[in-house]
Amino acid sequence: MTSSVDAGRSAPGEGPQRAAGNRRKWTGEHTLAWAFLAPSVLVFAVFLIYPLLYTVYLSMHGNDIVGNPSTFVGLDQFAEMMTPEFAKIFANTLLFTVGTVAPGVAGALLIVLLLEARIRGRRVFRTGFALPFAFSVASASVVFSVFYNPASGVLNGILYRFDLPPVEWLTSQDLAMWSIILTTVWMNLGYGVLVLSAGLGAIQPDIIEAARIDGATGHRLSWHILVPLLGPQLFFLIVLSTINALQGFGQIHILTKGGPADETTTLVYSIYQEAFATGSANFGGASAQALVLFLIVLVCTAVQFGVIERKVHYS
Amino acid sequence: MTTNPIDRASRNRRRRTALLAGAVGLTLTASACGGGGAGDGGDLTAPGADVLKDHDGVVEVEFWHSMETTNGKVLEALIDEFNKENEGKIKVNPSFQGIYDDTLAKYRGAVQKGDTPELVQIYDIGTRFMIDAKQAIPAQSFVDKDKYDDSKLEEGLRNYYTVDGELQAFPFNSSTPLLYINKDAFKKAGLDPEKPPKTLEEVREYSEKLTEKDGSKVEQYGLGAAMYGWFIEQFKARAGESYCNKGNGREGLATEVTYDEGTAVEVVDWWKGMLDDGYAVNVGRKTEDSQAAFNSGRAAMTLDSTSALGAILDQADFEVGTGYFPLANDGDPGGSIIGGASLWINGPGHEQVEQRASWEFVKFLLSPEAQSKWHAGTGYLSVNTDGYEQPEAKEQTEKFPQSTTALDQLRETKPNEATAGCLLGVMSEGRMANEEGWERAVTADGADPQEELTKSAKKMQGSIAKYNESIDN
Repeated sequence: MTSSVDAGRSAPGEGPQRAAGNRRKWTGEHTLAWAFLAPSVLVFAVFLIYPLLYTVYLSMHGNDIVGNPSTFVGLDQFAEMMTPEFAKIFANTLLFTVGTVAPGVAGALLIVLLLEARIRGRRVFRTGFALPFAFSVASASVVFSVFYNPASGVLNGILYRFDLPPVEWLTSQDLAMWSIILTTVWMNLGYGVLVLSAGLGAIQPDIIEAARIDGATGHRLSWHILVPLLGPQLFFLIVLSTINALQGFGQIHILTKGGPADETTTLVYSIYQEAFATGSANFGGASAQALVLFLIVLVCTAVQFGVIERKVHYS
Repeated sequence: MTTNPIDRASRNRRRRTALLAGAVGLTLTASACGGGGAGDGGDLTAPGADVLKDHDGVVEVEFWHSMETTNGKVLEALIDEFNKENEGKIKVNPSFQGIYDDTLAKYRGAVQKGDTPELVQIYDIGTRFMIDAKQAIPAQSFVDKDKYDDSKLEEGLRNYYTVDGELQAFPFNSSTPLLYINKDAFKKAGLDPEKPPKTLEEVREYSEKLTEKDGSKVEQYGLGAAMYGWFIEQFKARAGESYCNKGNGREGLATEVTYDEGTAVEVVDWWKGMLDDGYAVNVGRKTEDSQAAFNSGRAAMTLDSTSALGAILDQADFEVGTGYFPLANDGDPGGSIIGGASLWINGPGHEQVEQRASWEFVKFLLSPEAQSKWHAGTGYLSVNTDGYEQPEAKEQTEKFPQSTTALDQLRETKPNEATAGCLLGVMSEGRMANEEGWERAVTADGADPQEELTKSAKKMQGSIAKYNESIDN
């Protein structure tokens, strides 16, 4: 199992290893390799390393009123994060991430497996389910804000028809985050369906055929054959939607602006508020928070690669 | 074949994690390199008319604004008119920058880079920041140079934009908040549609009659208004109270906001009662959502700006009435803050002819003719008192008598410290903190308005102190 993983990923890893073996000799091959690498190294340096270092620099400085870094404040900006408010933001981010990734991936998987059944018009369904992918975050959020309007919204209109009391989708502290999660899951579903359908299509038919001959049908076929074979796609989806969730911004900005009472303020939204939304231009504080977010994404992704990827079967 | 997605995943991960950290940094690096910054502007005096006269060729004026949809179109039409009149001499290039908050954020970046536009429209609550940034030539300087008659500008506006005895900016679009009522619903409930409620107490009494319930279903709410911080500012001003200390920030830099005192607490308390008892619907903080509730007939009353009048008349399929923005308590002095947004002509980095050309354009926008068209087209008040004598404004008044309510309310305003409005460098953050406290107080069970507003006001002290320190440096 692990060997197949290595086989799949050996290409980028091999170069340095071989280079390490022949460290003493600097051949023309190396020069050529670096010449080819130079553009990407340059791009990385300008767009990745420099901004990262600059963010560190900013996080340790105060700002003047237009946002230029001013006095050195050391780790003050990080110390200022040790508040119950920030803990709340942290908890919101966690809830949002878990709440969107789990049902998003599971939902897409369920849809794709159900569509495996030989029902009439499954292509139409598949296209239909993949459609949310075509919506931009902004337009989807605007549509949902119309659905959610407490007085004139579509959802409360439906409840009204069934003689049910209206629901405060976005204005209740208990529900707002779930409404945003619902929107986000819907938006992510299309992409999930697309990736998993493609994965399913790529499974060699003889494997499924063999399983059928062995008597595996229905959920046994799905659960024991198809799901393990979809491992790489599922893993990819989990990693990507985790990162997406940690960076989720548009739907929050359009639907609630982080409210009510900060219930939907996630880390990214808080960074935006510190840096741009208010009159304070607190780029130092925003940078400190951005570094915290960077670390979280780094740790999350590392853990996912460490834990889940081991269980992934690459055929 | 299945290795592809995983390769992409890891590449994506790397790219994204770094991008994420880089995003904030990058914006800053781009803007921080250019030098510039607040305060090193040098000479901030207005040039005379001769600079333009002696100039050959077309002077271009870049104009950043925040007017979209209907308002944006009317503004573009005015700009076209000006450009035609000044063909071969001045060309104004409008550039929409997003909502007011966005314009201010972008302007701040432009100051860092030393690349400001010639002319920028900034909302009222950005005034203190604009003064402290020392980029704009004070309006007074142009007024003095040309002996321009600024007495025609609405008094309340001069009151707002006069700081340290000098007019700082030219008010361009100004609005006040109103109470909008559904006249049909009033009639149905047996209320006089010509007598909108005047105080919060009356709004509640009316709402009790206007609210229609069928078991747990609510057919119609009495009130559906957004928790918009501007409203608290207005309630306080109408009660004769300041919003921040140091004479509303006009006798020196304010150090505290005062929305944890007096009227603000009463209003939030009242609001909570309205929601808890089911006479009002909670639409959150956005006025688009309260407009949707009102326009669809689900809420019989709402609070909104005069500049929303056009849109509401357009969309509501019932008879719309307007009343004064309610008083928190009977006997409050009334009046209103009429900030809106104003125009700032930038000094540093711009040639004198460009400054002068900007001023010529501003004079055009402030003229009775232009303001009349602006008022009729958008619902904003005319900042020039002579604007109402012009044909477009007169026609508007005949067609929509509702549009005179705002003017009457404005004319009753006694210019004083409270109605001048609070000047605060971090006013937009202050307003947001106010909204958050308000929201916390009304949406959590058992939350205490006083406690929540105090929490918000306390939180602001740190931000205000930080801001004030950074100007002293």
